[in-house]
Amino acid sequence: MANDKASPRVLEPEAPVMVRMEKVGKKFGSIEALSNVSFQIRKGEILGLLGPNGAGKTTAMRILSGYFPPTEGKVWMFEEELFKNPRETKRHIGYLPESIRLYEDLRVGEFLSFVAQVKSVARSERKKDLEHKLEICGLGHVRNRLIGQLSKGHKQRVGLAQALIGEPDILLFDEPTSGLDPKQITEIRMLIRELGRERTLILSTHILPEVSMVCDRVLIINKGRVVASGTTEELGAGLQTSHAIYLTMAERHRKDEAIQLLKTIPGVERVHVTEETGDRLTFSIQVSKELELRPEITRLFVQHQIPILEVRFGRMSLEEIFLKIVVDENTTKENP
Amino acid sequence: MSKFLIVAKKDFHSYFHSWVGVLIFTVFFLIAGIFFSLLVISYGKITAEVAQNALQNVQGMKLTHFICGSFFLNLGVVMMFLAPLMSMRVLSEERKNETLELLFTYPLSDIDIVWGKYLGMLYFFAVLTLPTLVYIGLLMWLGANLDWGSIVAGYIGYGLLGMSFLSLGLFMSSLTQSQIVSAILSFGVLVILWAMDWIAGIAQGGWAHLFATLSPLGHYREFALGIFDLSHILYFCFFCFYFLFLTVRSIERRNWKG
Repeated sequence: MANDKASPRVLEPEAPVMVRMEKVGKKFGSIEALSNVSFQIRKGEILGLLGPNGAGKTTAMRILSGYFPPTEGKVWMFEEELFKNPRETKRHIGYLPESIRLYEDLRVGEFLSFVAQVKSVARSERKKDLEHKLEICGLGHVRNRLIGQLSKGHKQRVGLAQALIGEPDILLFDEPTSGLDPKQITEIRMLIRELGRERTLILSTHILPEVSMVCDRVLIINKGRVVASGTTEELGAGLQTSHAIYLTMAERHRKDEAIQLLKTIPGVERVHVTEETGDRLTFSIQVSKELELRPEITRLFVQHQIPILEVRFGRMSLEEIFLKIVVDENTTKENP
Repeated sequence: MSKFLIVAKKDFHSYFHSWVGVLIFTVFFLIAGIFFSLLVISYGKITAEVAQNALQNVQGMKLTHFICGSFFLNLGVVMMFLAPLMSMRVLSEERKNETLELLFTYPLSDIDIVWGKYLGMLYFFAVLTLPTLVYIGLLMWLGANLDWGSIVAGYIGYGLLGMSFLSLGLFMSSLTQSQIVSAILSFGVLVILWAMDWIAGIAQGGWAHLFATLSPLGHYREFALGIFDLSHILYFCFFCFYFLFLTVRSIERRNWKG
C-alpha cells in the first residue's frame, strides 16, 4: 500500500512484547469504567489511545501505571505480572499523568533527584541521569527554580523529565501536549517520536492529528471498550469495502450525464452521490483497486465541459475513522 | 537506602520549605521554656516555704518529680495541640494537589508511602524535642541532684505519646483534602481520648477501668512520674500500629473510588 508518510517507521517483526493487557475490566461501584480490554505492544512501538472524553482512557493509563489494579483481568509488563509485585515492576514504567501536578515547594533539581532515588537509580548514575534529562527536556536553566514558580509549559517538561528518569522501557503519556503553546507542542511531539524509537510508548490523547503524526498503531476506546485497533491505514481499510475517489462538481443538473460518464471508465465499480448542496454535487466513486483514475476522470469531464471543483483520493482521515467508529458505536447501542 | 527513608527525608525537608515548621518549632520551644521556668520558680518558692516553716515531712519531695514530672505532663498537653498542626498537611495536601497520584505510580508500596510520611513527621518531632534537653542541662548546671531514671522514663513516655498522636493525625489527614478539617478531626479525637481519663475518675467499677485503659493520659502519667511499665509501652505501640494500619487502608480507597 502506498504510504505518503515521510518516514515510515519499520518495526522488527520479532520485537518482544512489552505490555500486554488481558481482558482487563475496572469497576467503580456499579460504574463500569473499562471492560474486556485486551491488547499488546511490542518494543519500539508507539500506541495511540484514542477515545472521547470519559471513554476510560485515563482509567486504562492508571491501571498500566500501577496506580490501581484492575477489577478483572491481568496486565503483563515483559514477562512479569504488574500487580503481583508492583513495587518492582513499576520501575520499568515512566508515567506522565494528565495535567500533572508536582511538588510546588521543591526545586526542579531537588524534585528530580527525589524521583531518581525513589526509582532506585544507582548513586553513581544519578547525577548523569539527572543532567541528561534536564538537557533533553530543556530544563537546564530552571533547575534551581521552585516548581511552583514555573510556567505551565515548563511544569509539563518537568513532568516529562520525571517520567524519563531511570530510563524506563515503557512510557505512558496521558495528554502530554495539553495546555502547551504550538511551539512547545511541536517540540514535545518530536521528543516523543525520538523516545519511541527504543522504547515502548503509549500515548493517550484526544488530539487526532497528534496520533496520526506520532503513533504506529491506534486503539480506539469508547465507553470502556476497545472498538477498533490497528494502524491508521488498517482502520481506514476496514471501514471501506474498496477504495474510493471523491469528486465534487458544479452544475448539479448534469448529474445523470456525469454518472453515465463515470461508469464508462474501466475500473469503476460503483458511483453514488454523497452530498448535494446548492449547485454542487459530490460523488464517491468506488474503484476495484487503488487505481489512479483521477487523470482519466478529469480528462473526460473536461471533454464534456462539466466543471470539476475537486478530485481527491478517498483515504479516510483519522478524524473520519474515529468519528465513524465512535458515532456508529453510539447509534447502534442506542437503537439495538 | 530504603524507599520509605527517601519519602521520609523529602517530607521532613518540606516542613522547612514553608514557614510552618519553623513556626511550630519556635512556638513549642517558647511554651516549653515558659512551663519550665514557672516550674523551677514555683519549686524554689515551695522549698523556701518548707525551710521557713521547718516542715520536715515534705523534705522527701524530689526535685525531679516535681519539676520534670510536671514538665512532661505539660508537654503532653502541648503535643495535643501541636500534633494536629504537624500532621494536618502530610497526606491531605498531597491529595489536594494530586501529587499523591504521582507517588502511587513510582516503585513504592502503600506501606512505603505511609511509613515514609510517618517517619518524616517523627524526624520533625525529634527536632522539636531535642532542645528541651537544654532545660535539663540547665538544671544540672544549677547543681540539682537529678534522678536520671525518671528523666529517661519521661522522655520515653513523651516519645511514645508523640508517636501515637502523630499516627492518629496521619490517619485523619488521609481522610480529607482539607488541612483544616484534618486538624480539627485530630484535635477533637485527641481531646475526647484525653477526657476519658476524667470520665474514668467519675465512673465506677469496670467502666472506670475501661476508660482509664483507653485514655493515653493515664498511661503517660506513669511515665512522667518515672514509672516504667511494659503494659504502657504496649498500649502506645498498639495505638501507633492501629492508626498506621488504618492509614494504609485509607489510601487504598483509590482502588474503588476512581
